[in-house]
Amino acid sequence: MFAKVSRTTAALALAAIFITPAAAKDKLVINSYGGAYEQIHRKLVIEPFMKKYDVDVQVITAYSADALAQLRAQKAAPQYDVIHFSGGQEVVAAREGLISPIKAEELPNAKDLYPFAVEGLARGEGPVHAVAAIGLLYNKDTAPKKPTRWADLWDPAYKDHVVLTDLSNSYGLLGFLMMNKVKGGDIKNPDPGFNAVKELLGSAVIVSTSPELQQNFAQNDAWIAPYAQDYAYTLRKAGLPIEFVQGAEGTPAVYLTANLVANRPNQDLAKKFIDFSISPEVQEGWARELRYSPTNKAAKLDDALAKEVVYGDKAVAGLMRFDPVEVDAARASLIERWKKLIAR
Amino acid sequence: MRDRLEDLSLAGPGILLLALAFILPIVEMLRLSFVGTDGSVTVEHFVRFLSDPYYLGVVWRTIYLSILITAICAAVGFPLAYVMARVSPQLRLWLIVLVILPLMTSVVVRTFGWMVLLGRGGLIPVVLWKLGLAGRNFTLMHTEAAIVIGMVQVLLPFTTLSILGVIMKIDRRLEEAARTMGASFLATMCNVVLPLAMPGILAGSLLAFTLSVSSFITPSLLGGVRLPVVAGSIYESATKTLEWNFAAAQSVILLVGVLIVLMPYIRLSERRHG
Repeated sequence: MFAKVSRTTAALALAAIFITPAAAKDKLVINSYGGAYEQIHRKLVIEPFMKKYDVDVQVITAYSADALAQLRAQKAAPQYDVIHFSGGQEVVAAREGLISPIKAEELPNAKDLYPFAVEGLARGEGPVHAVAAIGLLYNKDTAPKKPTRWADLWDPAYKDHVVLTDLSNSYGLLGFLMMNKVKGGDIKNPDPGFNAVKELLGSAVIVSTSPELQQNFAQNDAWIAPYAQDYAYTLRKAGLPIEFVQGAEGTPAVYLTANLVANRPNQDLAKKFIDFSISPEVQEGWARELRYSPTNKAAKLDDALAKEVVYGDKAVAGLMRFDPVEVDAARASLIERWKKLIAR
Repeated sequence: MRDRLEDLSLAGPGILLLALAFILPIVEMLRLSFVGTDGSVTVEHFVRFLSDPYYLGVVWRTIYLSILITAICAAVGFPLAYVMARVSPQLRLWLIVLVILPLMTSVVVRTFGWMVLLGRGGLIPVVLWKLGLAGRNFTLMHTEAAIVIGMVQVLLPFTTLSILGVIMKIDRRLEEAARTMGASFLATMCNVVLPLAMPGILAGSLLAFTLSVSSFITPSLLGGVRLPVVAGSIYESATKTLEWNFAAAQSVILLVGVLIVLMPYIRLSERRHG
């Protein structure tokens, strides 16, 4: 298998030499999100890809909203080949024709992806290459019992030890939408969520950033908080006894997608890059390094690792997604209402 | 003629810097605050802010906390400055160093220090718990008291030093005269020192008040998201919900508010100088 792959690679490389004699290496321009994420992105995807296909990949640090703004501005002459989004911007980008549809056959690894990761292809979006799941973080040493459901946030057993995250934080927003859903609301009707949060206000701490959450677990005797699975790992690395559980009612998540930019000359190579991003090896790496959940069924994780991400058919079945367009439209008004609710 | 040229060339860099770094941004902020979502000229952002009880509540919290902080700074700063002015020059130097020393560290670092001291399990709540004055879960974090404590610590040097400068200039013989005429220490303070020190107290309070209504880091770290102040609300609008025009309108309101407070203060201190 491996030999075959490398022979194909060699053939491709050889072909590349004949087709573009003496020319510079092929080059892809992509975005990444900076910080620890970008470091791991380079190590897992970008550098191995450059080596494998003998090409150059130029990385520009741009968060999703920025990246979408740049794509719009560059519509006449796009500068990116592959664009990564984490906030659902691919839905908008596809609608505006900024990214090209990809057929599943064009991505050899797509056949191994879970259905949720490729359903966007039909709408002209790229595949989901990683998932940051939102669930309940709890302190396994001090919490009286292990939470199992989102509704446990209102369990009197955790009273005075609940931490909620401000809606200006995107994980906080998804956590709130889930609490709202559990209480019977939806994006257009957030009343149940706000009423339910109101019940908690007297006894919960509200934070607005990840480090504040860490501080509450470390110093303020916090027991339970809705937040992201990858951050539970960050807290464990900091020496805190924090575990993550998927709420029984469902697991909202941040979906990281890799998209093919429209009207670029080298779409074939860009597709190879996207395919590389969804390969089992790369996905295993994301899970190992940052605890992002794989979207590829073929990704092999050892047992210890598998427990710390959303892994296997049963766990994956719990994943759900709030419509990114609706969330984006409601964001500002939800945040303002939230601010008014929590202000003392 | 040449004098004016020389003056201008000397003041030039300063004026240029002021124009680029202060006037230009303020003009741009004014412009933004009147631009609607569709690009037209509008006062909708001002209406939204001034007609909403939530934002008025934020303004009210900012004002009364600032008044409280200013009052405490003046009340603590005046006796401290008086003592500093009346001790030997050597001791005074050490006291000034002590007062200035905290300014050598960043406000953020000092605020983090307060977070440790005031948080659950921190020194102050633990002492109160041991003394039986508070519950074990007691915390001062995310309270208005925390904001006041943190801000007073940040602003006290400014008030003290402005008062010190004025008290130093008060002729000691005036106090001695008052005492020999039979006035008690307290009466001397109230009738002689305090009135003469008033310009310094006014200047120091002014400084403390304007700095505290516009402060943002300390209230947001010690008060948390549930105790918003105007500066924090501007930050939220500008960086979290990306409503720049609304943020600009809030900034204009804050600026105008500070100017309105400054006016009588300036009048008052002018009269005292005149």
